Formats: sequence, structure tokens, C-alpha cells
Amino acid sequence: MKNHFIKILCIILLGILLAGCKKSVSLVSPTIQPTRNAIELVDGLGRTVRLAQPAQRIVSMAPSATEILFSVGAGGQVVGRDSFSNYPEQAKSLQDVGGSMGSYSYEMIASLKPDLVVAAEINTPEQVKALEDLGINVYYFSNPKTLDELYSILETSGTLTGHTPEAATLVASLKTRVQVVVEKTATTSTQPVVFYEIDGSDPAKPWTPGPGAFLDLLINMAGGENVGSALQSDWAQISVEEILVRNPDMILLGDSIYGVSPADVAARDNKVYGFNADLVSRPGPRLVDGLEALSMSIHPELYK
Amino acid sequence: MKHTARPFVIIGVILLIAFVLSIVVGSVFISPQVLFDLVISRLEGVASKADPGGTFATILFQLRLPRAVLLLLVGAALAGSGAAYQGLFRNPLADPFLIGVASGAGLGAVIAMTIHWPYTTLGLIAIPLAAFIGAVVAVLLVTQLARVGKTVPTTNLIMAGVSVSSFASAITALLMINSTGELRRALVWLLGGSTLTGWGPVMGVLPYLLIGGGVLLTLGHSLNVMQFGDEQAQQLGIPVQKVRWIVIVSATMVTAGAVAFAGVIGFVGLVVPHIIRLLWGGDYRRLLPLSMLGGAGLLLLTDVAARTIAAPQEIPVGILTALMGAPFFLWLLKRSKSQNYW
Repeated sequence: MKNHFIKILCIILLGILLAGCKKSVSLVSPTIQPTRNAIELVDGLGRTVRLAQPAQRIVSMAPSATEILFSVGAGGQVVGRDSFSNYPEQAKSLQDVGGSMGSYSYEMIASLKPDLVVAAEINTPEQVKALEDLGINVYYFSNPKTLDELYSILETSGTLTGHTPEAATLVASLKTRVQVVVEKTATTSTQPVVFYEIDGSDPAKPWTPGPGAFLDLLINMAGGENVGSALQSDWAQISVEEILVRNPDMILLGDSIYGVSPADVAARDNKVYGFNADLVSRPGPRLVDGLEALSMSIHPELYK
Repeated sequence: MKHTARPFVIIGVILLIAFVLSIVVGSVFISPQVLFDLVISRLEGVASKADPGGTFATILFQLRLPRAVLLLLVGAALAGSGAAYQGLFRNPLADPFLIGVASGAGLGAVIAMTIHWPYTTLGLIAIPLAAFIGAVVAVLLVTQLARVGKTVPTTNLIMAGVSVSSFASAITALLMINSTGELRRALVWLLGGSTLTGWGPVMGVLPYLLIGGGVLLTLGHSLNVMQFGDEQAQQLGIPVQKVRWIVIVSATMVTAGAVAFAGVIGFVGLVVPHIIRLLWGGDYRRLLPLSMLGGAGLLLLTDVAARTIAAPQEIPVGILTALMGAPFFLWLLKRSKSQNYW
């Protein structure tokens, strides 16, 4: 009897919970008059984002978004950025809106009166919803899986900010630089085995990029063979035994930006190098810098 | 019993100060005059002259006020059920999460996070909903495992609670390690970072607290008598098994509701009842309501600190509750003259 009582109670309570979750009403309703400059795009969450004109006051919620905005020439329109945005240099002096430990200061964002907030995959749908409820326009970028997806993100950013020509120029130059690397790589027949350490805080099983990670793709494009590509998920911990068996020709330390140095790593006769992980961990235009840096590390003979 | 009202006045004043502070303090400075003007204009139903763009009104009425109310409710829920559990289990280490609510909710939430939800209302409430279901399922499992015939011995409950909690936490950790996406989202949730803003979560928590909290408040006398032991209490006319079920159901209700929307906030439920007990004794008729008020106050004050220490960065409030609460409690404990206040 008691058990039935509890079950029925649970069902009632769930009902209340659902009822409590009704859509909250926004105080500030967006007043957008359609003009010939009006922009309408579908973002990475499948939301339709409408702007009456290219955004003039932008807040970036992610380092990658900040880099993308500056790269298409919209840096002057950015009025706020998350705590981790440290590139380019000018971004550092912008208003910090939080973001470490996953929490942003919504009131700081609201006080900047942005006409667009750019979010990325490190942001949760709840964060997008919170801003939406405040009557703020949010555009959410999914992480690109390929370089083509990166190009289309850059073009979209150009459209959102009124920098379509700059974005097109940028994409063209990135494509040329990628082509140079691809052509160089094609001239070599060797494919060195590369172990890339994302984080070795647990020395017995360091984190490494697995299949599906952008890094895996870049290492392959740069003419290397990624040790992590044999793993299951896109970011994974690998056993040191496996690394020993694969006996990589080279070890790249992505955590060198956090202070790990080649001297800290017990390696046999492998070549150990530090690597600027910001180039390859942020899904923005610097991925191409990362590709070039990887190519030079993996095949230095091509650059003599 | 001469000064029955005094503790309520003291805690009430602290709670009021905490509430006002959490409205006034934030990463954006709003002067008290503007705040006052905003409140008056809102009451009169006109737009504030001091806030032409409406930004301050948005910050006040859509961010600060609902957050303060949510934390007030959550603090009351956690401390109230903590006090009730400590009385029920006659164990000073009992907290609202003792029989699996937190780890069940954590598992539910992390399972929901492994799914790529579409950006719809259902997708957005999937996580609190899954957390709530996880919490209730964990407690049902614990009570079923602990049940002997028609009774639920407290030792069995605690042991089943600890085992189910550990098991659920292990699966949660496994899911997090294996997840392909963001670990931070799960981590922040597990540390008590609230996920949704606005009045929705408040409306979600409110009914549970009103019903569950209200029921708990009526159990002061029964819990007092039950401190003599189950048999004694039974002989004194307390239906021990029935009270036990009522406490479990009510406490599960309020904590599951709280955890679903505010994440797992530790320490408040454990220590606030002890602080009250140290200051004003262990009469559950007063301990329960005072704990609820005190829990609300402590959580609000902690949140003010969480929002200001590293502004504009916000620290998950669950980290700070213990960081700030533990030294305060130890100071009280050291200061108290009695050998054994429990």
C-alpha cells in the first residue's frame, strides 16, 4: 500500500515539475524591423537567428568565437569576451564576461547591451536559453569537423557582422595555405608516427586526440600517423604501454603551454617537442596555423 | 523557553540582510537609488525613469531576483531535510543526500547530458527532469533494498543509501570519462552550478518545498519523541514507521526538486542544523523551521560571495558552501562549552 502511495505521489510530483517548467516570458522583446540589410540564418542548434542589420555590439562567449570575429575584421564591433579569450592581443582589453567553471555573468552581458552574442560548442544550450530569455540575440556555432565547415563558419561570421568580403578573402587565403601544405605532404612517402599529448596530468594514461578530433585530421593532413587514431572516442586516455608498443617517431606536447617541458617526459629515442595547443584546440582560423606548424614539425625536411 | 521568538528574529534578520545583499550585489553595479526606483516603478506598473534602456530592470527582475528566490528555496529545502534526516536517523552525520538523492540526481543528469537534445523546451528541461527522476529512483531503490517486511530499519537504510550512492557515482564518473563532449557541463552541474535562469526553475521548486517542507514542519514533536529510540517512541504513541515514511517522502521531494534545478549543493544540509542546534538546542519543533530559514540565509550569503570574489567570473556555489561554512561551524564548535551538544 505504502509503495503504491509513493509511486502515485511521484507521478503527481513529476506533473508539477513539468508544469513549473513553462516557458518564461521575456521582458525585453526584440523589436526588429525588416530592412534590406536584414539577416536570417540558422545556427548550430537549429535556431533561426534574425538580425535587422549586421551586428554592431557583439559579445563572444568562447576563445574560438573571439578569434573568428577578429579574423573576419569584426574585432572593432566586439564589446565583451569570455575569460579565456587571449587572442588576438586586442581582445584582452575587452570587458570580461566570465566563463571559467562554465558560468558567465549574464548581468554583465546584459549591461553591455549587445545586439549579438556569439556562442560556441563549449557553451551549453541552457546558457543560450538564458540569454534568449533576456531578449538577447544569440548565434551558436557548432565545432567544425572539417576545414570546409571551418570556412563556412568564417563566411557566416562575415555575414553576421557585415564583413562578407573580408571573410571571403580570409577563406581564400586559408585555402591557398592549406593547399601548399597538402602539396608538400604529397611529395613525401614517409609517414612518421606521431603521439600528441593533450594533457599528461595522469602520466600513466595521458589524454590524446582520437578519431574524429580535429587534431587527428590535421596530423593526417600534415603527413603524420596519429597514435590516438586507434582509440574509440575523439578525446581519450591512452595507456603508456600502447605508446611504447607503437614507438612513435615523435612526441608533441600540447600541454607545453601549461608548463610541461620535453625534459619532463620520459622518452626513449623519440623526438619530443613542445607545441602551442591553442593553435589546434580552438576551432577557429588558427587551425591552419596549427596545420602548418604540425607539417613543419612532422616533415621538417620539406621546409629546408 | 522564555525567549522562544528570539532565534526566529535573529535568523529572520540575517535572512533579510542576505536577501537584500544578493539583490544589491552583482558584477554590474546598480546604485541603491536606482534599485529602489526600479522596484517602485515596477509596483506602479510604469517604466523606470532611472533606467531608460531597461537593462537594469532586466538584470534585477530576470536575473538577480529569481536567482535569490531560487537559492532561498533551495537552502531551506536542503537544511530542512538535513535536520529531519538527522532526527530520523539519530545520526549527526546524516544529510539530505544520505539515502541517494544527490548521486541519483547526478546520474540522471549526466545520462541526460550524454544525449544531444534538440533546442526545444523539452530538450532544455531534460536535464532537471532526468535529475529529478534519478533522485526519486535512487531513493525508491534504497528503500526497497533496505526494507525488511513492513519496516525499514535505519541501519539498513543508511547502508543501502551509501552503497547505492557509491554505485551511482561510479557510473556517473564512468559516463563522464567516456563522454565525447564537454566534461565541464557535468562537472559544473555536480558542483551546484545552476543551469537555467529566470522564474521557470523557481516555479519548478516551489510546489515541492511548499508541500514537502510544510509536512516536515509538522513532524517536530514526533522527531523529538523518536530521539528516545523507536520502541520508546512507539510506546509513547508515535507511529514510528509511518513517520519514517513521511520524512523520507517529504525530504526526497524537497531535495530532489532543489537538486534538479540548482545542482548538488553540499554542506548546507549537513551543517546548518548543527549550527542551529549549537546555538539554540535540539528541540525539533524549533530546529526544523530555524534550519530552513538558516539554510536559506547561508546559501544566499554564500552565493553573494560566489558572485563577487572573482567577478565577473562566478564560482559554483557548491564549492563555497563548504569553504565558508566549515570554518564558521568549527569556530562555533570550538567556542561551545558543552561537551556533547548533540
